[in-house]
Amino acid sequence: MPMLYEIEGKQLFKENRIPVPKFKAYDGVSSIKTFAEELGNDIMMAKAQALSGGRGKAGLIKKVKTSEAEDYIQSILGRDHRGKPVDLVMLEEPMEIENEYYLSIMLDNASSKYLVLASSRGGVDIEEVAEKYPDEIYKDYFSVFSEPQPYMFIDLGKKLGFEARTLTSFTNIMTNMFKMAQKRDLTLIEINPLILTPDKQIIAADSKVVIDGNADYRQLDIANLKSQRDRHTDLEFEADQSGISYVQLDGEIGIISGGAGLAMATCDLLEFYGSSPSNFLDVGGGADETKIEKSLEILSRQNIKGIFVNFFAGITRCDDVANGIINASKKYEIKVPMVIRLVGTNDDLGIQILEENGINAYGKMEPAAKRIVELVKGGN
Amino acid sequence: MAIILDKNTRVIVQGITGKQGTFHARSMIEYGTKVVAGVTPGKGGQEHLGVPVYDSMKEAVKETQATASVIFIPARFTYSAALEAIDAGIELLTVITEGVPIKDTAKIKQRVQEENVIMIGPNCPGIITPGESKIGIIPGEICKQGNVGIVSRSGTLTYEIIQNLTINDFGQSTCVGLGGDPIKGIGFNECLKWFEEDPQTEHIVLVGEIGGTGEQEAADLVKTEISKPVYGFIAGQTAPPGKQMGHAGAIVHGKSGTAQEKMRILSEAGITTVKTPNEIPLKIKENI
Repeated sequence: MPMLYEIEGKQLFKENRIPVPKFKAYDGVSSIKTFAEELGNDIMMAKAQALSGGRGKAGLIKKVKTSEAEDYIQSILGRDHRGKPVDLVMLEEPMEIENEYYLSIMLDNASSKYLVLASSRGGVDIEEVAEKYPDEIYKDYFSVFSEPQPYMFIDLGKKLGFEARTLTSFTNIMTNMFKMAQKRDLTLIEINPLILTPDKQIIAADSKVVIDGNADYRQLDIANLKSQRDRHTDLEFEADQSGISYVQLDGEIGIISGGAGLAMATCDLLEFYGSSPSNFLDVGGGADETKIEKSLEILSRQNIKGIFVNFFAGITRCDDVANGIINASKKYEIKVPMVIRLVGTNDDLGIQILEENGINAYGKMEPAAKRIVELVKGGN
Repeated sequence: MAIILDKNTRVIVQGITGKQGTFHARSMIEYGTKVVAGVTPGKGGQEHLGVPVYDSMKEAVKETQATASVIFIPARFTYSAALEAIDAGIELLTVITEGVPIKDTAKIKQRVQEENVIMIGPNCPGIITPGESKIGIIPGEICKQGNVGIVSRSGTLTYEIIQNLTINDFGQSTCVGLGGDPIKGIGFNECLKWFEEDPQTEHIVLVGEIGGTGEQEAADLVKTEISKPVYGFIAGQTAPPGKQMGHAGAIVHGKSGTAQEKMRILSEAGITTVKTPNEIPLKIKENI
């Protein structure tokens, strides 16, 4: 599920009138002083931007003085966090805290409704709160057709302990958050903590936003955010641009398949026969020759010992798969053994095309998988 | 018998004049499906593949008394096409289209629940009752009429399993491809209950994947309500653990779990689990 960086989420919050602390993005260390002057404060929060959790424990979030900010930013830029180097840091206004809350809205798969979760025990691991104090997590389901209005959240606000002016602020924030989820095709917005300051402001101190990749065509600005580039490795990104779903694994045999289920089962089968997949690759439904060609081109650049092409074509057509394979083997140097398994729609045509080019195809996937493992392990 | 679909089901193909629509409508007709109409706005009055084309679902349903429709329409127009089918009174809606925004699917789902429509998909291969009819894209030639019911979250992996059964002389009552999206029409449990009631079905095969909690819910149902033997396979045993998401899902539904955990839960519910798809016919043989 595609996540946004905290800072991108907060930018969306700002655009949707959900109050956030003042913040600024840094990929270097220039103009820190200007930001400090803007804050009118010598203390600021420095937060590395990452798509994996555990930033706090990794020392990637720190309260710093203006004079220390530059050194700190330089010390964390480039540092590895769960396989990705940090290349973006956010400086943020520090918040005084009277109370911390947890607040989220998600498009719930089980009920296909929007589900609001809230607790006045925020700022900590919410899964632990759910275990210890299940009664203090409030749940509210809303129809996907809802038109959010502040009155819908008054009960919830009161349960959380808001009153008078803070109750109005809360119901407005909740309304804006709900509208934003609908308008921007977000499947999750999580704020932990949502902060109540001593001067009774309610502010989103963190943001976790998950988008719906299927809605990219109508949310182009979100689809083009840095996070959506960074969540893929370069190779995954390149494949994604061609509509191919590619995940890097660390095994020895490259696979090409159609359909996520079969692609996963293909990976599983290589392991079952004693080898391992170097990737997951799903060309998607109705793939044409060029996608097959592109997939083989990608694999031709990998350090692998063999290639296993496994198709059971439904909406895809075997003649397209065969033509893609032939085109690719003419254009790119494929130095490792390749085993092809091809059945389904137009398989007679596909097999004929392969045979005309001196390639045999298997009809069943187990013997084909066994064969590629044998070839890779040096058998004959 | 069989479930959901039989040779008398009258089907409309939405998007019949498109490339995918044409290809698969032809294959449905050749298989024996009663395709009674197609709908493509602006092409009403034409004939395509020997079937009348209408501008709207309302007209098509009125003229043909169809009760089922199948959608072969690009993702950005699927929401509207699905609502049109529901408003026209369709009882069985199959959405083949991949890449439908989740919010659109959630809205379609609410409408089908209100109108008691059976929805299959989106992002699914559809349904086939071998020897009678098919809706969607499951290749008919790999199927054979028989007594094994199949319900699967996958597309192509389902074909794999069907073919293995057919080669080993186990025919199928009905095969349902539920689709791979997080929000979808019917799920494992509806199909398990229908298979339980269906006199033709004697064995039930359940094909799951990593992600979601549908398999766990199916295991609970099998424990209490399903008396027929159930066989399970879960794809994604070698998949790396997913990236950390928000916590809201875990709080409400618990963790979705790895393939291994899902297999364990299925086993504990008395389901015969297998490590590769080709083991399924062997296990059925052992059971007879």
